[in-house]
Amino acid sequence: MTTTLTRAKPAFKPAFKHRAEGGQGRYALLFLLPALIGFAAFYIYPSLRGVWLSVTDWNLLSDPEFVGLDNYAELATDPLFWKALLLTGYNTVLNLVGQITLALLLAALMHRLTKSVVLRATLLLPWLVPNVATALLWLWLLDANLGFVNQLLSAMGLSTHGFFNSPAEAMPSVAAVTTWASVGYVALLLYAGMLQIPASVYEAAAMDGAGEIRTFFRITLPLLRPVLALVLVVSVIGCFQIFDTIAVATEGGPVNATKVIYYYIYQEAFTHFRMGYAAAMALSLVLILGVLTYVQMRLMRASDSDLG
Amino acid sequence: MSSKKTRALLALAGLVTATAACGGGGTEAGAGPVELDYVMWVDSQVPAYKQCADAFTKKNPNITVKLSSVAWAQYWQNLTTQVVSGTAPDVFRNSVAYYPQFAKNNQLLDLTEYVERDKVDLGQYQKGLTDVWVRDGKRYGLPLDWDTIGVFYNKDQVQKAGLDPADFAQWTWNPQDGGTFEKAIAALTVDDKGRRGTDPGFDKEHVAVYGIAPDYNTGALGQTGWAAFAAGNGFKYLDKNPFGTKYFYDDPKLAETIDWFAGLIKKGYAPAYDKQSALGGDAVLQGGKTAMVMAGSWMAKPYLDNKTLNLAVAPLPAGPQGRKTPINGVSDAIYAGTKHKEEAWQWVKFTASAECQDLIAATTEVLPAITTASEKALAAHEAAGRDVKPFVEEAQAADGTFLLPVTDNADKINEIMDTAISSVLLGTADAKTALPQANTEVNALFQ
Amino acid sequence: MRAGRIAAWTVLGLAVLVTVFPFYWMVRTALTDAHHLFSDNLSLWPQHFTLANFKRVLGLSTVAEAQAAGGSGASLDFVLYLRNSIVYTAVVVAVQTLSCAMAAYALARLRFRGREVLFSVFVAALMVPPIFTLLPNFALVRNLGLLNTFAGLVAPILLMTPFTVFFLRQFFLSLPREVEEAAVIDGAGVWSVFWRVALPMSRGPLLTIAIINGVYAWKDYLWPLLVGQDEGSRVLTVALGVFLQQSPNARPDWTGLMAGSTLSVIPVLLLLLVFGRRLANSLNFTGIK
Repeated sequence: MTTTLTRAKPAFKPAFKHRAEGGQGRYALLFLLPALIGFAAFYIYPSLRGVWLSVTDWNLLSDPEFVGLDNYAELATDPLFWKALLLTGYNTVLNLVGQITLALLLAALMHRLTKSVVLRATLLLPWLVPNVATALLWLWLLDANLGFVNQLLSAMGLSTHGFFNSPAEAMPSVAAVTTWASVGYVALLLYAGMLQIPASVYEAAAMDGAGEIRTFFRITLPLLRPVLALVLVVSVIGCFQIFDTIAVATEGGPVNATKVIYYYIYQEAFTHFRMGYAAAMALSLVLILGVLTYVQMRLMRASDSDLG
Repeated sequence: MSSKKTRALLALAGLVTATAACGGGGTEAGAGPVELDYVMWVDSQVPAYKQCADAFTKKNPNITVKLSSVAWAQYWQNLTTQVVSGTAPDVFRNSVAYYPQFAKNNQLLDLTEYVERDKVDLGQYQKGLTDVWVRDGKRYGLPLDWDTIGVFYNKDQVQKAGLDPADFAQWTWNPQDGGTFEKAIAALTVDDKGRRGTDPGFDKEHVAVYGIAPDYNTGALGQTGWAAFAAGNGFKYLDKNPFGTKYFYDDPKLAETIDWFAGLIKKGYAPAYDKQSALGGDAVLQGGKTAMVMAGSWMAKPYLDNKTLNLAVAPLPAGPQGRKTPINGVSDAIYAGTKHKEEAWQWVKFTASAECQDLIAATTEVLPAITTASEKALAAHEAAGRDVKPFVEEAQAADGTFLLPVTDNADKINEIMDTAISSVLLGTADAKTALPQANTEVNALFQ
Repeated sequence: MRAGRIAAWTVLGLAVLVTVFPFYWMVRTALTDAHHLFSDNLSLWPQHFTLANFKRVLGLSTVAEAQAAGGSGASLDFVLYLRNSIVYTAVVVAVQTLSCAMAAYALARLRFRGREVLFSVFVAALMVPPIFTLLPNFALVRNLGLLNTFAGLVAPILLMTPFTVFFLRQFFLSLPREVEEAAVIDGAGVWSVFWRVALPMSRGPLLTIAIINGVYAWKDYLWPLLVGQDEGSRVLTVALGVFLQQSPNARPDWTGLMAGSTLSVIPVLLLLLVFGRRLANSLNFTGIK
C-alpha cells in the first residue's frame, strides 16, 4: 500500500539467469526460510485457527467445543456488536473529515510557503509518540474539572465540558485526540504528493491569473486524488483498529459510548474469556474491512488516470 | 446450568488437578529455601506487608516472600490469565466479589484442613468477616482487614455554611426529600455568586462548590455510592448472601434511591455525571470543588493527613430503616497449583495472625480484621491526630452493617449494572424501567 | 496578497503551537510539586518546581519519599520498562529487517516455482486486521509457555511482517540489475551478491523501514498488554497503563504519570533530532501500513 503501487511495476527479471532452473529454488528457500517460518506460525496457522475458533465455545481452560454457527447467530442479535460497529464507523468518519481537511490545509500551506524540515519534523512529533502517552496527556488536559482546557474555557467565561466522561462528547474527544496525533503525519504524506505535481502546471495557472485558492481547487486537489485515495484507505484501516486511546482514556465508557469494535473484541476475549465469540467478531471485521478496502481500491483505480 | 458448561467445568477441574499433580503436590516444609510470590492490588499497602514478610522470614528463614502489586483494573484479568497459563502467584489478595469464580473452577486451595490442624481461632476476627470466605463447606481465606463507609467533609466549608458538625451524627435521609442530609448538602452548595443551594436565586448552572460529589461508577455493589442509602431504604441485593442466585435490582426501593442521586444532580447539588472528572469524586475533592465525598475507611489516612484540605469524618445518614453501612474485607488466597502449599499456608496464617496485623495496625493503612489489632490501629490513628470513630461506631452498631453480594458472574453483573445506573444518573433512562430490565439480564446469567 | 501570506503563516504557527503545547504541558506538569498541582492550574510555569516526580518514576526515591512527594507510592521501575522497551524495539527491528530483506530479495531476484503465488499471499495478509490473528496467537504463545517472556513478546513480528517484505521487494525490484550481474560475472554467489551488493545499495530504504518499524514497535500496546505483564517483560506503554490504574480510589497521580509519559517521548525526540530529515523526506514513498 504505497505510492509505488500506483507507479508502473518494474518487471521481474531474475538476476542470476545463467544458473540452471531449479538451482535457485534451493537458494530461494534458504532466503525465504526465516520469513516463511514466521509467516506460517504467526499468520497462516492463527488465521486457520481463528476461523475454527469462531465456530467453537472456548474459555481457554477447557477444550474448544464445536457449536456450529451459534456465535454468528448471537452476533447478529447482539445490540452491543452493532453499536460497536456503528461507533467504529462514527469515529472513522470524524477522523477522516478532521484529519484530511486539516492535513490538506497544512500541506497546501507548506507547499506554497516553506520547505522547512524543522517544521515538518515538528508536525510529525505527535505521530511518533506512543498512543498510550498521547491518551494520558489528553486525559489530563481534558479532565472535566482540573484539566487545562476546562480551566481555560472557564477563565474565558465559557462553559466547561465533560469530554471523555460525557457519553455525547466522549467519541468526538477520542477522535479529536487521534486526529491531533496523526494530522501532521497525513499532512506530510499529502505534502509529498503535492511535490510530485510538476511546477509547470502551477506556472501555467499563474500566467492565467488564477489565485491561490482557485489554483488549489482547480489544480492541486484534482492532481492529488490518487495520493488522497491512498491516504483514505490507510486512514480507514487505521481508524477501524483504534484501541490504545480507548483503552487508556475511556475503557469503552461512559455507558458504552466508546466501545468500538476492537475494544469489544478485546473485552470479550480477555476479560470474559469468550474466545469463540471474539473470534467470530474478529472474522466479521476481516470481511467488513476486506469489502471496504476493495471498494476503496476500485475508487482509487478509477481516479488513477488523473496524474497521467 | 447447561450441559455444555458442566462439561467445560469438569474438563477445567481435570486440568487444574493435573497441573497440581505436575507441580509435585505439597512439598514438605523446610525442604530447602522457598520463595513465595505474593500479589496484591493496593500499592500503598506493599510497604506495610513488607514489614510482615520480613518478620515472617525471621521466624521461617527458609521462606522468603516476594511482594508485588498489580493495578485493580488489571488485577483479575491478569490473575485469570496467569491461572489459565499455570503461572499464578502462590498467594494472592482476594476479594469477595471475585473469589467465587476462582473457587468454582477449583483454582483456590481449600484451607479447611489447615485451619483445623493449626487451630486458628476464628473468633478473634471482626464479626461477619469469616463466613464470606466459605463456599460449599470449603474455606478459601482468613480475613485480613475490614472497612466501612463514611462521609468526609471539608471543615472550612461546613463552617462557612454555618452548619454544626455535631449535628452530623444525627442526620437522616429518605429518598423523597433527602432528610436533614440533603438539607446539609444544599447548604454546602455554593454558586459562583456566593448564593447557597438553600438561598433564593441559587444558580444551579454555575456551581462553584458542590455539596457532595458521590462516586457514580460503583457498579453492581455501590460500595462507596448508593449501597448504604438503598440498604437504609430496605433494599437487599439478593435472595441469599453469600451465594444467592436471584438478584433484586428491580426493587422499587433501589430505583427510588438512584432517583434521589439523579435528583441531586438535577438540583445542582452534585456534579453532573458527564461533567465529573472521569476519575471519580476524589479529583473534585482535591480541586476544592466539593464540600463532601463518601469514601471507605481505607482513605482515612490520606484524606485526614491532607495538608491542603481540612477534612473530617462523619457517619452516613440514617435511612428509613436505620443507618446501614456495607462492611467488607479482603483475604489472602492460595493458588491451587502452587508448588509450595505448606509454605504458602504458613504465610497466609501469618498475615491473618495478630503478630502481622499488629504491624499493619501501626501503619494505619487499613483496619485489621483481628479486633485487638483493630483497636491498636484506632489508637495509632488517634495518636496521629485522626478521628476515625464514625467508621468504628457504624461497624459496631446493632444491625448496622450488611455484606456486599458474593456470587458467581460478578464481572458480568458489574458491567450490566454500571451501564444501567449510569444511564439513569445521566438522565437518559428511567430508573423504574432501566433497573428491572438490567435485573432480568443479571438473573438470566444464573439460568 | 500580503494579508493572505500573513494569514497562512498564522495558521501554520497555530498548528505548531497546538502540536507542541500539549508536550510542554506534559513536562510542566511533570516538574510541578504534586501537592500544588491543583492550584495554579493556568500558570504556564511550574509554580513549585521539583524533580521529585522524575526521581519517583525512575525509582531513585523510596516509597515513603514518593508518597511524601504526593505520589500514590506506586513502585514502578521505569528504568526497567524503558530498557525493556528499547530492547524490544531493537531486537524486533534488527531481526525483522534482515529476515524480511532476505525474503524480499528472493521474491524480487530469484526464480522459483510459486513465487507469484507466495507474493500474493503476503499481499493478502496485509489486509488482515491484526486482531484476527491476535486471539489465536495469544493461545499459541500460551501453549508454548511463553506468556510473560521476552520470546513471547517478540515472537509474532520477529521474523516478518507482510508490510516489510512488500516494501523491500518493491525496492529491490527498482534497483538497477547491472551491478548485481557484474558481481555474478565476477563469480560471486547468491548470498554474497545479496550481502555485499544488494544490501549496501539499499541502505536508505532499509533505514527507512527500520525507523518505521521501530516507531511502531515503540508504540505497541495491545500485544505487550496481553503477553508482557510481568516486570521482566513489561514495556513502557503497558507500564503507563498500569500506573494510571494503580492509584488507590481512582486518584490519578498526574505528576508521576506525566513524568513517565515524558520518558516515553524523549527517545522519540532523539530519533527526530538524528533522523528528522530522513523521516520527513522519506514519507513520500513509503505510504505506511
